[in-house]
Amino acid sequence: MSGLVSPFLVHTAMQSVTPILLAALAGALCGQAGVFNIALEGQMLVGAFAGVAASFLAHSALAGVAVGATAGLLFALILAYGATVLRGDAIVIGIGMNLLASGLTSYLLRPLFGVTGTFDDPRIVGLPVLTIRALSGMPYLAALFSGLTAITWIAWGLVAAATVALFRTPIGLRLRGVGEAPEAAAALGVDVRRYRVATVLFGGVLTGLAGVQLALGTITVFSDDMTAGRGWIAVVAVLLGRSHPLHAALACLLFGFADAVGLQLQGRGLPSQLTDIAPYVVTLAALVLSRRRRMA
Amino acid sequence: MTWPGVPPAVPAILLALLLGAALVAATGGDPLDAYGQIVVGALAWENLTNTLNWAVPLVGMTLVAAIPLRGGMVNLGGDGQLVAGGLVAALVPLWLPAPGWVLILLATALAMLAGGLVAALAGLGEVRFGVPLLISSLLLNYPVAGLASWLVGFPLRDRSSGLPQTVMIPAAAQLPPLGDVLNMGAFAMLAVVLCVVFFDRATVAGYELRMRGLNARFAAYGGVRLGRQALAAMAASGAVAGIVGALLVLGSQYRFTDGALLSPAYTWSGLMAALLAEGEPVGSIAAGMFFAALQTGGFAMERETSVPRELSMVLQALVILLLAARHGLARRRA
Amino acid sequence: MVPALEVRGIVKRYGGLLANDGIDLAVAAGEVHAVMGENGAGKTTLMSILYGLQPPDAGEMFRDGRWVRFRSSADAIAAGLGMVHQAFRLFGSLTVWENVVYGREPRRGGFIDRRAAREAVAALAVRYGLAVAPDAVVDRLSVGVRQRVEILKTLYRRARVLILDEPTAVLTPPEREALFAVLRALVADGSSVLFVTHKLDEVMAISDRVTVLRDGRVAAHMATRETSPREIVRAMIGRSLPPPPPRTGEPPGEVRLEVRDLFVRAPGRPPPVAGVSFAVRAGEIVGIAGVAGNGQTELVEALAGLRRPDGGRVAVNGRDVTAADAAGHRAAGLAYVPEDRAAVGTARAASAAENLALGFHRAPPIARGRLLDRAAMRAWARQLIARFDIRIAGERSPAGTLSGGNLQKLVVARELAHAAPVLIAEQPTRGVDVGAIATIHAQLAAERAARRAVLVVSAELSEILALSDRVLAMFEGRIIAECDGAAADEEGIGALMAGRRAEAA
Repeated sequence: MSGLVSPFLVHTAMQSVTPILLAALAGALCGQAGVFNIALEGQMLVGAFAGVAASFLAHSALAGVAVGATAGLLFALILAYGATVLRGDAIVIGIGMNLLASGLTSYLLRPLFGVTGTFDDPRIVGLPVLTIRALSGMPYLAALFSGLTAITWIAWGLVAAATVALFRTPIGLRLRGVGEAPEAAAALGVDVRRYRVATVLFGGVLTGLAGVQLALGTITVFSDDMTAGRGWIAVVAVLLGRSHPLHAALACLLFGFADAVGLQLQGRGLPSQLTDIAPYVVTLAALVLSRRRRMA
Repeated sequence: MTWPGVPPAVPAILLALLLGAALVAATGGDPLDAYGQIVVGALAWENLTNTLNWAVPLVGMTLVAAIPLRGGMVNLGGDGQLVAGGLVAALVPLWLPAPGWVLILLATALAMLAGGLVAALAGLGEVRFGVPLLISSLLLNYPVAGLASWLVGFPLRDRSSGLPQTVMIPAAAQLPPLGDVLNMGAFAMLAVVLCVVFFDRATVAGYELRMRGLNARFAAYGGVRLGRQALAAMAASGAVAGIVGALLVLGSQYRFTDGALLSPAYTWSGLMAALLAEGEPVGSIAAGMFFAALQTGGFAMERETSVPRELSMVLQALVILLLAARHGLARRRA
Repeated sequence: MVPALEVRGIVKRYGGLLANDGIDLAVAAGEVHAVMGENGAGKTTLMSILYGLQPPDAGEMFRDGRWVRFRSSADAIAAGLGMVHQAFRLFGSLTVWENVVYGREPRRGGFIDRRAAREAVAALAVRYGLAVAPDAVVDRLSVGVRQRVEILKTLYRRARVLILDEPTAVLTPPEREALFAVLRALVADGSSVLFVTHKLDEVMAISDRVTVLRDGRVAAHMATRETSPREIVRAMIGRSLPPPPPRTGEPPGEVRLEVRDLFVRAPGRPPPVAGVSFAVRAGEIVGIAGVAGNGQTELVEALAGLRRPDGGRVAVNGRDVTAADAAGHRAAGLAYVPEDRAAVGTARAASAAENLALGFHRAPPIARGRLLDRAAMRAWARQLIARFDIRIAGERSPAGTLSGGNLQKLVVARELAHAAPVLIAEQPTRGVDVGAIATIHAQLAAERAARRAVLVVSAELSEILALSDRVLAMFEGRIIAECDGAAADEEGIGALMAGRRAEAA
């Protein structure tokens, strides 16, 4: 088992977990506000598409990030207003958003880029990675922490900031109240609608970034439905963590670890179709095992 | 957006068509031409059988979603249940010697069993382990599809073809054709449709499922055994998915090819159709047929114009979103 | 003296219903002002207008003589009003201090100043005699303590006019006395209290002035000292109270519902049902009296099969149903009118016919084997609608179109229609207008006459006393006393409901 957990592996896992982490954070915050967000998959896809398009057109990764985040914000308006002001069913809206994102992004490949299925062009600028020179003398830590994108660092920073904000600041307290008992919050003068809309929109920015990390992170490509279920893993992480940002993040790490182990096993000859499903099996098992805690 | 006497789906569909037209126009296409091609492609006499052929699995997957949705439960595991049924249906004729029609019935029955088991497993996740059905059903898709993919890529692969697929089923097990395009599977699906409608309208269990969908606590209070009902509804749902898989394998594909059952995305279109009708069987079926026309029309549209066929998917999603917003508005006024 | 709060000519209409029809009300500083009226008289509407939760269609409001308009409860709070609702609005998973300072948190830097918050809460609690532990999680607190948190919320926001909506509905007599002490401390301090209730004895005990509402108008307005309970009642309903339905002379028959050593546990707190034993016989009505929150809900759930008991035995009509689910209990011969008709007792989107069929839908006439006989279902529904005088357009109309009283009549009709040997009725007349109350009480008495075993669980002591042959007092999960219905009196039962404990706060 010794070669199984190499620093390279952990590094890859951390990098690949970033999109799921950001999506899970978005989902956790929405959960705290009382909005059940299962549109994470579609939101990420929108961010990925917008990021790739912007990076390609403007030849800049920064443009990709900005546009991806903005696209995520705009797309999230559907859930933000649909589930709060319009009081639609969040589950139906989430499913609809996922399918809209899938159809729309695949649709736009032809008119915008003249391709179908996959858009891969050398002119797409990927996210730069941050080399930490201070760690150059420590190969183990360098392998772990150097060479990650800025978004990865930001993601973890956001998780920490969100946890502190949620439990120590007035906004965080009010948000938690809005999610737990909206009538009580409203009776005390807190604008439930505004908090929910703002949270969903902020979540949109986060998932937009997640998509950008996915499409411009290690590879620079957009392909049909490239999110491949990561958004749903994020939903499960939120469930496992009971909408607590830090706990959901840990659940994401669990998934990332399983994914990385799967990759390792694949490298050792196990067929990819089986190793690919390892993370899903692990999360299902975690859900089943956490039953008592969750039902308490 | 409430027009008296008009079903709520109609304004949603019209608005979605409008938005779709805007999209087409914005991306350099001609909306009227595109929509015209869809209509012709779906409903012109020479294309009608194609549409019906597409409608058979799509209506099937619509029922897969609609049966539990009638009871307020969301089954997102149609893909996995479909694959399970299809694989079993492709293998039974290879492994069991029997005369043709027995083979067909047996393959279908075992396919129903396979699909039903996968779905019931998801149901068990909720009933016994508190994993929301939405999640458990969706998560099971991946292991099931992955396992099937591996099986058909390695141990069960047809060595002679070099592709990840099973050996073709013997002619005896293939469903007899019905004209050029359709096969007897169409009648089988018709039978399923009639069964589901009958169940919903005329049985005690259908009544209980409907009451659960309207108010689960009320149903429990009235003596409905919720756990058992959830498992039964999911099993039935998965069984229908199994039938769809069997019909596709035995009726047109004649083997199980990795990904072939999933690429037409019947499951998600079916889900959207069921959501459109909130699980009500007749409405769901109508919506399913409408979406089938939208999709076959979409293929034709892509051939004749440069508008990508994903427009169909976009239109379907827009209808669902607009309807959800509308239902929310209606609830607000109530 | 300028009144602390005054309204003139308040009008509010909901569709065709005129809930408030030109109401004038004035509350002085340092006064406890009771607002009385039956269900549907317009009290709740008026309070929600006073608190800014909805705007009046006409009329004006004055605070300390200044004209004000409240566009939201935030405006009302800013003007020094505070409201404690009948159904508490608390955040269960948050602590007492978090609940109190919510929305107005003391800050330090960008963070909440937790110490300042705790100290503020503790200081207020001491000043007005509201004993609470600031760090306690609200979910784990008893109902009486939760009410104190609600009051602290208003005091923290410097409320000088406190509106309390049916505050004693959920309190034991000692807790009620503690609340009254707090109110006296508040008015001595110059605050005003608006006390909405339908309980006569409390009005006489604590208030300085009374305003009586009837059918959306002010029916009477007087100083408490100068009036009497009978006068108030007459103002409320326009006539004297109707007599309770007469009791039959026949003694009860054999035991139809038997409960022995029943236990229901809940994690993190003492068991809601801790060893309850009693029996109900054919031809008698047994009433369980008790303030809400003493285990009645859990007890009834166990008796109806909606919850599995953690110990003990339940037998319906001689059959042991302890391990059975709701279907099993019904099959053994039990009918159940639930407390919450909207959430449990009906499905508002389903038709009246579908609502009237559930519970006995697996048997003829509604079922033929596994098949549903829809014509029979509709015919059955029509019969019941006529027999129980349910005001509805037709059996195909959705249940959601029914008013509260008619919906309750539907539920009662359904459960009574099958003549089950055992009937459990939980809060049978909650939120129901006076006419429907009389009908339902008469029907319950008719059940007794038909030799069925009836168990009534109600927080309305007067209802229990009017209906029951035997009264059981429930407190903290146990039956602590039993007495004969005719001989019992309100005060005695009230004391028993408090558990024979001394004035523990």
